[in-house]
Amino acid sequence: MKRKYIGIERKEARWGFAFTVPAILFFSVFSFYPILNALYTSMFDKRVLSLLPPDFMGLGNYTYIFTSPDFWNSIRATFVFTLGTFIPIVIFSLMIATFMVNLKSKHARGFFQIAFYTPAVISSVVAAAIWLLIFDPRGLGNQWVNALLNTPGIDRKWLADRTMVQVSTIIVYFWKYIGYFVILFITGLSAIPPAIYEAATIDGSSKWQAFWRITLPLLKPTVVLVSIMAMLQCLKTFSTQYLFIQGGAPRAPINVITLNIYTTGIRNQRIGRASAMSIVLFLIMLIFTWLQFRFSKSEEVEY
Amino acid sequence: MEDSIKRIPWASIFIWTALILVFVFTVMPLVFMFTSSFMTSRQIVRMPFSWIPETFHYDNYIKALQGNDGSWIFPRNVFNSLFVSITVAITTILIASITGYGIAKFNFRGRNLIFMMIMATMMIPFEAIMIPLYMVATGLRMQDTYAGLIVPFLVSAFGVFQMRQYLTTFPSEYLDASRVDGLGEFGIFWRIVFPNCAPVIATLGILSFRGQWDNLLWPLLVTQSEKMKTIPLYISKFAEEKLTDEGAMMAVAVIASLPMFIMFGALSKYFIGGSAVYESRKG
Repeated sequence: MKRKYIGIERKEARWGFAFTVPAILFFSVFSFYPILNALYTSMFDKRVLSLLPPDFMGLGNYTYIFTSPDFWNSIRATFVFTLGTFIPIVIFSLMIATFMVNLKSKHARGFFQIAFYTPAVISSVVAAAIWLLIFDPRGLGNQWVNALLNTPGIDRKWLADRTMVQVSTIIVYFWKYIGYFVILFITGLSAIPPAIYEAATIDGSSKWQAFWRITLPLLKPTVVLVSIMAMLQCLKTFSTQYLFIQGGAPRAPINVITLNIYTTGIRNQRIGRASAMSIVLFLIMLIFTWLQFRFSKSEEVEY
Repeated sequence: MEDSIKRIPWASIFIWTALILVFVFTVMPLVFMFTSSFMTSRQIVRMPFSWIPETFHYDNYIKALQGNDGSWIFPRNVFNSLFVSITVAITTILIASITGYGIAKFNFRGRNLIFMMIMATMMIPFEAIMIPLYMVATGLRMQDTYAGLIVPFLVSAFGVFQMRQYLTTFPSEYLDASRVDGLGEFGIFWRIVFPNCAPVIATLGILSFRGQWDNLLWPLLVTQSEKMKTIPLYISKFAEEKLTDEGAMMAVAVIASLPMFIMFGALSKYFIGGSAVYESRKG
């Protein structure tokens, strides 16, 4: 009897391995090996076109990139984009979600959900292409802003001015992902039991008070998690900036880290240097991911 | 409640105004894409912009398919995008569900380690490993091939994670009953477990399809010839030459968006439901 039991256990283990090993092999070759390889290569002066074996240079690539104004500019561009995007996105999507939860008509809510989410459905390259035309000097961007501010004929230089081109990339991202974050917040808001609001209304609190005193504190974990998610996405941005530069925008203001890795590694064939940049990007994102895990563990609320 | 009918509902007016403004902001650029795809370039940059095409200028679509150089390469690029995205969606669903099943329902030594390893890969962003991945692809002679476009995305850690979470709650009694009935382990997976994963399969399929449909960075690295390129690359080439033909560029954009709009129309609840979970690793 005992022997047979062991037999079943063995059989189970064998099938468990059979089902999971292919994926593990896959991740080893296409995730673990590359990140270790990036770490290793970042210590060498590796250039693809050179036939000589690469020279070991220790942390040389890191000292190089951390003393290069070009890489600092990339870090600046990435953080300007990340902060400039996630702060407005979180604030506005929270506001919009609160408005939508307060809509009495279920149909209207469903309609707005679908409409706001639609830009997230199209690909980021298409989004960038559309806005490239809107930001044309004679395009809709200037026409709308001038109509709103009553300043006919002024060109805002959406794609030409240093500051404006950063604002433009932020607008594209904001437009594309606002609906996505609205839905995340609606999910969070719907999890707050209505009984709490009923109790507050009986106690005589206004909707405004209820939002600041009840909704926001209870929603804090969602806000933190959504913020970190938004930041992680923004740190990886590539398509919008790439397309804008292809479309003639100046490179320097929007030369985010991913774009710099691509140019350094693929266009200029400086693999070692690009690997060091990759490792820096990886570490920045690792810190945010770690924060995300910490918050998602410690901040679980029970109502 | 009686007197609230007479009072002007300011809050409600404010909410509706705000939502309608957001609606205008999100939808206008999409409307712009559609209408301007039927306009001549001259009309697109006319001030003030008129939203209705003065003539139905479907030439843009012919030009979009034909390309600026008249090579008719775009249909091939559309096929590439479809082929890569569909293949990746299918392999992700299959491999993620079988791996998730193995982790969720089988007891073996190292199971937790395997799960932790797969979770750990979610922390490795594609952007940080694209350079070494490019060298792996070169080493395996996968440059400029479908294998090169597909293989790095065969399965996603996020997919395995989703499947594992979903299948942990799957009642083991069904599995044992099927074993008693003499069904083999693969048979159990294929006939009992897999069909029961439908909701996760839909979400995961959409996510993986979108990931590749949207992927610009990897095809940019791994493809060289025009005939292996995908839609995002074709669009970025158009953007480079945009001053020559805005209308055709928007026609390309419409064609590139159609599959997504169709899927969104048919399966919007999986899109919106799927966005409520973390999209930790996109291609």
